[in-house]
Amino acid sequence: MGQYRAWLEAYGAAFLDAAAWTLGVAVASFVCALLWGAILFFLRLNGGAWGRRAVDAYVQLLRNTPVLLPIYLIYFGFPLVGLLWPASICGGLALVLQNGAYICEIFRGGYKAIDRVQHDAAKSLGLMPWTAFRKVTLPQLLVHSIPALGNQAVLLLKDTSLLSAITVVELTMQAKVLTERTGAAYAPFLVAAVFYLFMVWAIEFLTRLALRGVRWR
Amino acid sequence: MTPSDLWVLAQAAAISLLMALASIAFGTLLATLLTPLAFAPWRLLRAFYRLYIFVVRGTPVLLLALLVFYALASFWGRISPYTAGVVVLTFYLAALIAEVFRGGVLAIPRPLWDCCTSLGLPRLSILRRVVSPLVARYALPPYLNVCVMAVKASSVLSIISVWELTLASREIIERTLDVYRVLAVAALFYFIMCFAIDRLGRQLESRLAARGFAGERL
Repeated sequence: MGQYRAWLEAYGAAFLDAAAWTLGVAVASFVCALLWGAILFFLRLNGGAWGRRAVDAYVQLLRNTPVLLPIYLIYFGFPLVGLLWPASICGGLALVLQNGAYICEIFRGGYKAIDRVQHDAAKSLGLMPWTAFRKVTLPQLLVHSIPALGNQAVLLLKDTSLLSAITVVELTMQAKVLTERTGAAYAPFLVAAVFYLFMVWAIEFLTRLALRGVRWR
Repeated sequence: MTPSDLWVLAQAAAISLLMALASIAFGTLLATLLTPLAFAPWRLLRAFYRLYIFVVRGTPVLLLALLVFYALASFWGRISPYTAGVVVLTFYLAALIAEVFRGGVLAIPRPLWDCCTSLGLPRLSILRRVVSPLVARYALPPYLNVCVMAVKASSVLSIISVWELTLASREIIERTLDVYRVLAVAALFYFIMCFAIDRLGRQLESRLAARGFAGERL
């Protein structure tokens, strides 16, 4: 037991630091991905036939390739055009691009789940298009999307582990470094896993809370 | 990028696909063992199922891969990253597929269960003649989704030094700095593999539907 305490005292701070990086990158990427997904969805809805085709092509391409490719594309590709960004920003941007595509699909599904009659009712009440969107479409869209968005947040959180491939010291990288430095067989990975599981549990809790909030209104 | 690099990438893509297919096969087997636990009469087994799903779905595949790679290495000495990769993907996909199967079982309408019991069908016949065909029917579309995820997840194994499409692209990039073209080719390979699985699956679905086994008609 004393051995574990010594271990924790020596490396606890490093783990907390790494967990903060993981959480920070995940939260910032998720907020930006929500925005990017909303923009894509808006373009798909109002951009005419070409807008729709362009967004669909983008979504299909990113949905059918692993996240590591955009990560490498930005991390190795941007310096070639003179953009020397920190690795965490490059990785975060890649996560935003990929998850934006998924979130656009989630919004599309949520939109399709809204009964046609609702749009007709809004029109027949004489609501202006923007008001109809804000008061009728958007709330229902969000209600339908919340479970899938929570799921996507979990996926994004797990994908931040891939930033370890481009030198960001987040939880997975920290666990790997400590394993190699201390000669521990696998204990650091178990600690990192506990951190991830706690965050996943928190996301699921928040999703349930959000769902109850919108249902209650 | 030279034609020989292209050939190297094609070979790497084949390895990615093989890793994914092997893990899907083993994962499906493991999932058929896991799903019954979700409906087991003992609370302990159900708790074990829930814990397994939560842990495997709640930790990144990369972390699982590193864990298995290092942990197995500490027990049995260094093991091949390919073995570790298939083991990890198998555990990961089994969790996803088990949930897909569980969803399929839950989708079976309640009256059907009552019909089976009132007909006095033995348990094994219920499983073979009623449950499995229906689960296959309900679960095929999400199952295909998991297969596509398997191909994408195999890219993570590049980090535990499994030489597949992502690692091969990274090697070529580091040698030639030809980032855009190499990654475009790699993305194209991944896209073709995922798209092919999706299309083949849909074809299978419609063929099964024509035989009244899956799809809209019951």
